[in-house]
Amino acid sequence: MNPGLELKEKIISTIFISAAVLSSLLLLGMLLFILRESWPIWSQVGAMDFLSGTAWRPVSTPPQFGIAPMLISTMWVAGGALLIAAPLGFGCAIFLAEFAPAPLPAMLRPVLNMLTGIPSVVYGFLGAAVLIKFFELRFDLASGESLFAASLILAIMILPFITSNSEAALRSVAPEYRQAGMALGVSREYMALRVLVPLARRGMMGALVLAFGRAMGETMAVLMVAGNTLMLPFSWFNKGEPLPALIALELGSSIPGSIHYQALFAAGLVLIVMVIAVNFGVNILLRRLKSGVKQF
Amino acid sequence: MIVVRGKTWLSILLISVLALCLLSGCAGDKQGSETTPVPTEKASIKIGGSSTLAPIIAKCADNFTEEFKTWNKVDSSLPDEPIVIFVSTGGSGFGLKSAVDGTFDFGMVTKDLKDEEKAQFANGSITQLGSDVLDIGVNAANPIAKVKPNLTTEELVAIFSGKVKTWKELDPALPDRPIVVAVRDLGGGASEVFDKAIMKGTPISPEALQIPSMGALGGKIMDNADTIGYVSSGLVNQNPDKIIPLSVDGIAPTLENINSGKYKIGRPLLLLSKEKPDAKQQKFLDYLQSDKGLKVVEDLGYIPVAR
Repeated sequence: MNPGLELKEKIISTIFISAAVLSSLLLLGMLLFILRESWPIWSQVGAMDFLSGTAWRPVSTPPQFGIAPMLISTMWVAGGALLIAAPLGFGCAIFLAEFAPAPLPAMLRPVLNMLTGIPSVVYGFLGAAVLIKFFELRFDLASGESLFAASLILAIMILPFITSNSEAALRSVAPEYRQAGMALGVSREYMALRVLVPLARRGMMGALVLAFGRAMGETMAVLMVAGNTLMLPFSWFNKGEPLPALIALELGSSIPGSIHYQALFAAGLVLIVMVIAVNFGVNILLRRLKSGVKQF
Repeated sequence: MIVVRGKTWLSILLISVLALCLLSGCAGDKQGSETTPVPTEKASIKIGGSSTLAPIIAKCADNFTEEFKTWNKVDSSLPDEPIVIFVSTGGSGFGLKSAVDGTFDFGMVTKDLKDEEKAQFANGSITQLGSDVLDIGVNAANPIAKVKPNLTTEELVAIFSGKVKTWKELDPALPDRPIVVAVRDLGGGASEVFDKAIMKGTPISPEALQIPSMGALGGKIMDNADTIGYVSSGLVNQNPDKIIPLSVDGIAPTLENINSGKYKIGRPLLLLSKEKPDAKQQKFLDYLQSDKGLKVVEDLGYIPVAR
């Protein structure tokens, strides 16, 4: 091999490796920083009390720090959004990949992608101005904010993620399966639902996880429609304050270095760990799943 | 022979530049703190903090920039440079923090400073432009404005702590609908003021809606007939037919009552800087405290500081 080429390869691979290392170091550094900032909470309040406490009174004396209502709100909001968006997203993806007549996917895809480009504050604004008002008038509620409203807004936001990633997974199924299916004369429905979807299962699950992580971390839209009450939410239609909303709402007014400030950092750490845990969990699950085609 | 084409060189160059940028971030702030005992002349003035004060300062900055355009027109001893003033929002706590760590030249803060907070600005400046009074506001469609235009401190505590849950419980003549309590985020400037004047440590109801900005809180009251909340008097004055202010212990939030100190729910509008303002910054401060600046404070519905 040409020695010059070899050197060039080396340089390039060094650059790539250092970029990769740097970005992982950034993540690690960020985690360490947040851990350091929030350390007094873990050592003084204790992880159990912090996570399971139901009273959040950061500026009372003595202050109380319990983020259970926020944790549950976060799960309701993100899980609910997934519940609404997953069937829609998978349906869209299957339609676009398998059933749509030729010019349609090319026209619909940019529209869907454009949905991802809309700033979340715009979604939040629409939610606060239209959705909340609608709930108040339609159902004669005293106030229309709810976790459900937040889930609805989030569902629209994560729909394009689920659709485009699932569609890509469906399209990347090897053509042999399709040809074999056609040769056997199965219907299009059978081919899509029984052959292609199981084969693309990993990719589609991945799309869900990506969407779930995004939904958990979304701030602005949720902040504007979830109501931000400190109550423990018992149903989807209660109000609540998801973790990102809590942090966004209170970080600006907390005094740096105070226990309140540290508690918000601790809440941030919990949020990051949750997102990372979901990613890891699903990765492990996916490895077990492998491909979903039954072997006879 | 080593063959490296132009494109590769370019990418290596770009990456080294990026890496240098990253590295330089590590060292930057240390140098700054060692070498800046004297206020330096900066190209722009950066101001940030309270969402209540931001519109006032932004309006003044606009007027100031439009009137003078360059610094030498403000004062002939200043250089011929365009006036650039940045104003950004983020809450009183953020304003305080950014003024201390130097992110902003001035921090906008709308709350009473604690002594230890004041001490951080001993070498700098603390300027009060006026005060913001919190009115207890309700929707214009709420019959309470006619039935019961005056609430006592005890009644307010009962409402905001969630003890009284419906309007009917408050007064039998009022509709049997839930009271929607709207507050600003706990720990924020406004909620601190309200706690000091009314709640005195009683926790706010966990069912209260926490609204991320004063404007949105006013909007919530205007949109929803069952809402009660504390709103900046400025917002009430800007929307006289939509938000109805209630009296507290028989004292209405009128200008006389506020200026005489009878009406208690209020907070100062402050600009803080960590270092002595330089010549340009001082000129802008002077402008804010001039008739023109205080007129803006008044126009936006706040109470300008007495001169």
